[in-house]
Amino acid sequence: MTPIDWLAEPFALGFQQRALIGGVIAAVMSSTVGVWLVLRGMSFFGDAFVHAVLPGIAAAMLFDFSPYLGAAIAAVVMVGGIEFIHRQTALKEDTAIGLLFVGMMALGVAIISKSPSFTGSLTSILFGDTFGVTWAAIQGEAVMAAIVVVGSLVLYRPLLGLSFSATKASTLGLKPRLTHALLLAMIALAVIGSFQAVGTLLVFGLLVGPPATAALLSRTVPRMIATSILLALAAVVVGLTLSYRLGTAGAATIALVAVGTFFVVMHATWLRRILARRRAARAETRAQEVTA
Amino acid sequence: MTASAIDTPLAEASGLVLAYGNHVAMTPSDFTIPAHGVTAIIGPNGSGKSTLLNSLAGVLQPRSGSLKVLGKPASEAYRQVAYVMQSMALPEGTPITVKEVVAMGRYPTRGWFRPLTKSDRRRIAWAMDLLDVADLARRHLGELSGGQRQRVYVAQGLAQDHVAVLLDEPLTGLDLVSAKTIDDIIHSERERGHSVVLTTHDLDEARAADHVILMNGHVLASGPPEQVLSRRNLELAYGLGSLHDSDLVFIDDPEHGDGPAVDALNPPNPSRHNHRHHH
Repeated sequence: MTPIDWLAEPFALGFQQRALIGGVIAAVMSSTVGVWLVLRGMSFFGDAFVHAVLPGIAAAMLFDFSPYLGAAIAAVVMVGGIEFIHRQTALKEDTAIGLLFVGMMALGVAIISKSPSFTGSLTSILFGDTFGVTWAAIQGEAVMAAIVVVGSLVLYRPLLGLSFSATKASTLGLKPRLTHALLLAMIALAVIGSFQAVGTLLVFGLLVGPPATAALLSRTVPRMIATSILLALAAVVVGLTLSYRLGTAGAATIALVAVGTFFVVMHATWLRRILARRRAARAETRAQEVTA
Repeated sequence: MTASAIDTPLAEASGLVLAYGNHVAMTPSDFTIPAHGVTAIIGPNGSGKSTLLNSLAGVLQPRSGSLKVLGKPASEAYRQVAYVMQSMALPEGTPITVKEVVAMGRYPTRGWFRPLTKSDRRRIAWAMDLLDVADLARRHLGELSGGQRQRVYVAQGLAQDHVAVLLDEPLTGLDLVSAKTIDDIIHSERERGHSVVLTTHDLDEARAADHVILMNGHVLASGPPEQVLSRRNLELAYGLGSLHDSDLVFIDDPEHGDGPAVDALNPPNPSRHNHRHHH
């Protein structure tokens, strides 16, 4: 087997190609909007969010309506609930997020437990059904991805202002509250759009993994976005290849590669810093010797 | 600049109350900030200086009472008012270069989408030159010293179209070169006919201003420095214990534990930071 065959074999069949396309689209939209999620320091919110859409999708499956609509309703309930607790009490926002996180998750599991195929449904929502993605699902995913990617780029200035400082953004006329709401909507779209390809939980790997790794490698936000997309695409291709070769779950392997890359890059940059420091120290000693 | 912008006071407040949630930061206050010159807002820690600046910038809406900035509600005046953050403020983790931070000053003019033009780029370069940060253009905000960062924030403010600049403790804790550069900008802005409002802990800086607002949970006094910074007013603002019979008083300062020693009773040599008599 030539190396080309070795690389092509995992994507030879139709369902494998759909898995690849579904994964690539999920990767592009999640890693783009994920940059703003990471810069805003909203990772905990993102984590809670991917759990919170569960009851919506579960109810859609049980009562036979669009899972996208179900997830969208759950997303609105989640954001509204956090805002309501925040306004009514003196509790910090993370407590409100935590409450909605577990509450919505529990509601989702309770709803699914009424379905005859409890375990199968729960697993496919949470961890994706990578190799069962249909062309119809890919079409829906592509539309949402287009909105998310265009939104993340077109809203560059207000999103940059918001990441910089909400106060500053406000004085620059960048409307931080509206921008924040639009960002939430884009995160919701990325999660909802990706859930069939990579699952609601594992999409989080693509939302924070590649952007966090890109943050270690980039000096500007545009570069961070480009690096994040490339890393996410690599995670999908490498993840699916490994999944085929090792016989592991597709979405989980993709998420594992995305997060694993972060640790590899983090150690590499740490090592590079140490080597640079040593080189500088050696050069200084040599310079002192020459002077002496 | 329009004629009305020249003649309208920078700010007019009556019965203005400012609050964050349940915490009232400023009880009913009346004051006017003139259209030109340097206005210093001085008062002890937690007296509401930064809160007042936030309200002038339109970031914080009045809880009650009225506040007009350049004759309009403060939230509508952002196109004409540049607000300069404190040098301590650093957006951790955002990979952003000095040049991009300064370029943000053009956003109020260009809005969310319109690309920057040649004249925008000229304005950005001009502001960076003025604050002597052109060499740092490609550096990261996190790689700068506090003084350099403050100069970048002031450059951002100058890159913005404005008739007034609000500066939150612009000279606090800075190195001499940065403090001198920013002090020069305050003077040149004043000479351009712009209004400059700054918060400060330093009585000398307040004395050097054209107009002073003395705060302690509300506006205690507002007017020319010699009138506002009277011994009685300062005792009211800082409490009787902080003024002793000796000439030296210490005013609390978050940056310097022991605070700068200032002579409260005998005005100092006007050459130091004197915004009125400079040049």
